[in-house]
Amino acid sequence: MWLTSKIKQVLLVLKPGVVTLKYPFEPHPVPKNFRGQPVWDHHKCIGCGGCAAHCPARTILVRDLCQDLRVMMYDGSRCTYCGRCADVCPESAITMSEQYELATNDKNDITLSMELFMLTCQRCGRCYNREKTNMIDKMGLKGFRYDNLELRAVIQKATEHFDEKMLEESDRHQRPRKIGE
Amino acid sequence: MDILYIAVNIAAFLVLAPLFEGVVRKITARVQSRQGPPVIQPYYDLLKLLGKQNLSAGNFAFTVAPMLALASILSVIAFMPLGYQANYLTRYADVITIIYLLTLGGVACLLGALSSKNTYALMGSSREMITMIMVEPVLAMTFILGAVKVKSLGIDEAVFSTAGGYGWSAVLMLAVYLMALQAFVGRQPFDIAEAEVEILEGPFIEYSGPNYALFRYYLMLKQMFYAALFVMVFIPFAKTGAYGVDVLVQLAMVFVVFIVIALIGSTNPRLRIDQAQKYYAVLIAISLVAVGLSVYGV
Amino acid sequence: MLTIEEVKNKLSNRFKSAIIHFDHPLRSRLFVDIDKARVREISNEIVRMGGRYLVSIGYDNIARDKTLGLIHTFSLDRDDLFVCLRSAVPAEDPVLDSITPDIPNAGWSEREYMDLLGMKFTGHPKPKRLILSDDWPEGIYPLRKEVPWNLMPPPAENVAYQLDECPEGCTVVPVGPFHPTLHEPAHFAVFVDGETIKGCDYRGFMVHRGIEKLCQTQVTYNEIPFIAERICGICGSVHATSYSQSVELASGLKISRRAEFIRTIMLEIERVHSHLLWLGVAGHLIGFDTVFMQAWRVRESIMWFSEKLTGNRKTYGMIVVGGVRRDITPELKDELAGVLKTIEKELMTIKNAIIGDTAIHRRTKGVGCITNEEARLWSLVGPVARARGIDIDVRRDHPYAAYDEVQFDVPVLDSCDVWATVVVRILETFESIKIIRQALDKMPDGPIMTEFAEDIQPLRHAISAVEAPRGEVVHYLITGEENRPERWRVRAPTYPNLQGVPLMLLNDQFADLPIIIGSIDPCFSCTDRVVKVDVGSGKAIRLTGRELEQISRAKLNAGR
Repeated sequence: MWLTSKIKQVLLVLKPGVVTLKYPFEPHPVPKNFRGQPVWDHHKCIGCGGCAAHCPARTILVRDLCQDLRVMMYDGSRCTYCGRCADVCPESAITMSEQYELATNDKNDITLSMELFMLTCQRCGRCYNREKTNMIDKMGLKGFRYDNLELRAVIQKATEHFDEKMLEESDRHQRPRKIGE
Repeated sequence: MDILYIAVNIAAFLVLAPLFEGVVRKITARVQSRQGPPVIQPYYDLLKLLGKQNLSAGNFAFTVAPMLALASILSVIAFMPLGYQANYLTRYADVITIIYLLTLGGVACLLGALSSKNTYALMGSSREMITMIMVEPVLAMTFILGAVKVKSLGIDEAVFSTAGGYGWSAVLMLAVYLMALQAFVGRQPFDIAEAEVEILEGPFIEYSGPNYALFRYYLMLKQMFYAALFVMVFIPFAKTGAYGVDVLVQLAMVFVVFIVIALIGSTNPRLRIDQAQKYYAVLIAISLVAVGLSVYGV
Repeated sequence: MLTIEEVKNKLSNRFKSAIIHFDHPLRSRLFVDIDKARVREISNEIVRMGGRYLVSIGYDNIARDKTLGLIHTFSLDRDDLFVCLRSAVPAEDPVLDSITPDIPNAGWSEREYMDLLGMKFTGHPKPKRLILSDDWPEGIYPLRKEVPWNLMPPPAENVAYQLDECPEGCTVVPVGPFHPTLHEPAHFAVFVDGETIKGCDYRGFMVHRGIEKLCQTQVTYNEIPFIAERICGICGSVHATSYSQSVELASGLKISRRAEFIRTIMLEIERVHSHLLWLGVAGHLIGFDTVFMQAWRVRESIMWFSEKLTGNRKTYGMIVVGGVRRDITPELKDELAGVLKTIEKELMTIKNAIIGDTAIHRRTKGVGCITNEEARLWSLVGPVARARGIDIDVRRDHPYAAYDEVQFDVPVLDSCDVWATVVVRILETFESIKIIRQALDKMPDGPIMTEFAEDIQPLRHAISAVEAPRGEVVHYLITGEENRPERWRVRAPTYPNLQGVPLMLLNDQFADLPIIIGSIDPCFSCTDRVVKVDVGSGKAIRLTGRELEQISRAKLNAGR
């Protein structure tokens, strides 16, 4: 019993042979639908911020510097690569790339930042279809957002019209402190 | 010329022990469908460890233990008649010396472990102690069997006792030695003292850097010694007379023994200490029978 | 067989005025509002009816009627019925009878709400801190609504967890917080006499990150599946499915049949790879690395398939409220069939190679024994229970997704040891392969996503159980107002099973500890969920190796 088991165990290996790869030299090919690092195409992006509103990890920040200039920033250090952003993007501006070797000791290597020049809509200030009562609206997504890029903090207040006070306030945003500190 | 033999002994062991360790790792990897590390990885490991910082538990015994262990195994090796050739030192010692020196190596491990006062190290050393007490007799019996056969305690005579004829007692002893081999070299199923997932390398848990490198080197040399001893004691008939050829042939046979060690090691789970004790007890009993038989010249 | 009406009648006849209200939105869910004074009696009555204790849910209702709520949930497995006993205590004096003396498994749940909500339980045998860290200040109960989600109170000084008293003549061997057996931080203080274990105290919840609080205050319904999925690295889909189902039950959303089939397939894929992973880990824990590597080699093909289907090896991100995100195309269907064939063949080879190996028997047979009665008393779940002769399986007893349309066996063994769990898991893997094949055959066409037609009404209760590879996962959901749950409680299978571990360890050898703890396939981080997220603004202090060594030594010497 014991011996036959041992022989079976040694024979077990004969068929598959060696299956591990010489990894860094011989990377494993990724399949077609792989969800690697998301990549933004700034030509297609309309700056709607839908990706930021849907990101479960809150890694996409949107900051309006003025009426016309919107900065979008993707902070890969917290990204869970769920691919929600690519799903919800109305313009397919986001693709999940094949890149998965993302270990780095500098956060900026995996940070992506876009400055978008926004046109002002005469009617509503920001041109997204806000008549639909869908989930995005219910999240309190309004036209202008003021996330703090320096601290990489999502500030969950948004305004319908550009608000300089909010912008200033968001500059002074602070992470929670311990009581008494 | 005698000095040369000693030098060859020590050089062969020092150079080849990590290589054989690498071979074991490679074969284990193949059984597990892995690429495995390069065969010379153990050399890298040793070099890397030697370059690291020594964290010390602060007392003298802790620092001195690894050197003691390495020194004892090296002196054992110096006595060995590698290539069927007794050297200058061989006649100054007998098999009792060898057993003592081997035990000293084990005691050095315990010394280091106990002086670190780590709970896991204590558990590991208690297991190590049990293993030593239970396995050492098998080694002793192997030598005594030879000594009884040739009526001498001299190392070369006792070791080459089977050259004059095998006999049933030697066959029995060979079986026992093979069964105890994994315990001698501290590999599965008898790596109980080190048991990584239970007590985290047991006696060596507090060691790091050069001190740990010495212990690793000690363990590699020890396992090569036990493999070589098997070849010397039980395969004496490959002697050609030419010293260089003999050394090479013996080392080739040691290589084969290592393949066996690797295969057994990779196809067995670790035993518990109480199960191992029962197993060792049976081995001791059989080896006693073998010695008894040899007294009657069987 | 008891119907929901019979249960109602029995309860109202026996306890009359103590029963305030019945609510049964579905044929298989019964919510009972009861008088807090008779919680213990009514719980015992449910157990007598064949109820198996699942978990308790405490919630803060202070803003509405100044009470704290506590819900004990039970599963009547033979009758496909969940019974939830809802009681409420005033927030100023939140004292309740403990049910732990009769149902030992409730011990942790009750301790949890002592920590998190400041409830008090009279008659609790071990009212120690469970979830919060030792230096969390007294009097701040993080799960109460008044406490903000990102509060970081200053640590309490000079506090330490007091271990249970060590039996006479034993030494304490610390296993953890970091130990190769555990893979995750958890601390077992094992009381050892020589090599024999005489007892053990558990201090875990070290990776407690506050997911529940986060999800109750910050994110929205459709983001939670992704967070739920990350509760466990191995059974992610299970948590996502269970959560999604509870939202769907609460809102009355009916998802498409195809989505249910795809969920079933995802769950079974997960079971196949999880059991293979466990087999490997078990091999490693008894020092048999060849089993480890070979089981993982076989597992790899299903991982690669998952990568093709979902875009990732793990944390599939497939399941959201309302359906699934990606469809199984005909090509993928064929490929999955091929993958299953190889796995079945390879697993059979491995099974043949180890099933008769006396060396493995020696390490697993007769190890970690607890009797059927003890396992029942401690409400163990999953393969651990099935290896002790308890015939439970949520997939069969409370069918969800597409499990009502597939045939499968539930392997049950009664040798009560670790070996039985090995065999149960191997057999279950073959059953899973069978289920996936049937599901692939029977899968109807249709959409994979169903959108919400309207808002989810607040304050609806829903309970959903899903059979994870390790046992059943229970999610309890109370819907809230701002498009997020008011209360979401996750019970991972390790939560009840881990409470049974001290019993399994008793009088076994220390060398068997890894495989006994391993036999429940522990998943400490799943168990740990709940309260605070530290986003970390603190400065990083760099210590040199020597400084660290000196500090450690100073602490060690001070301790002596």
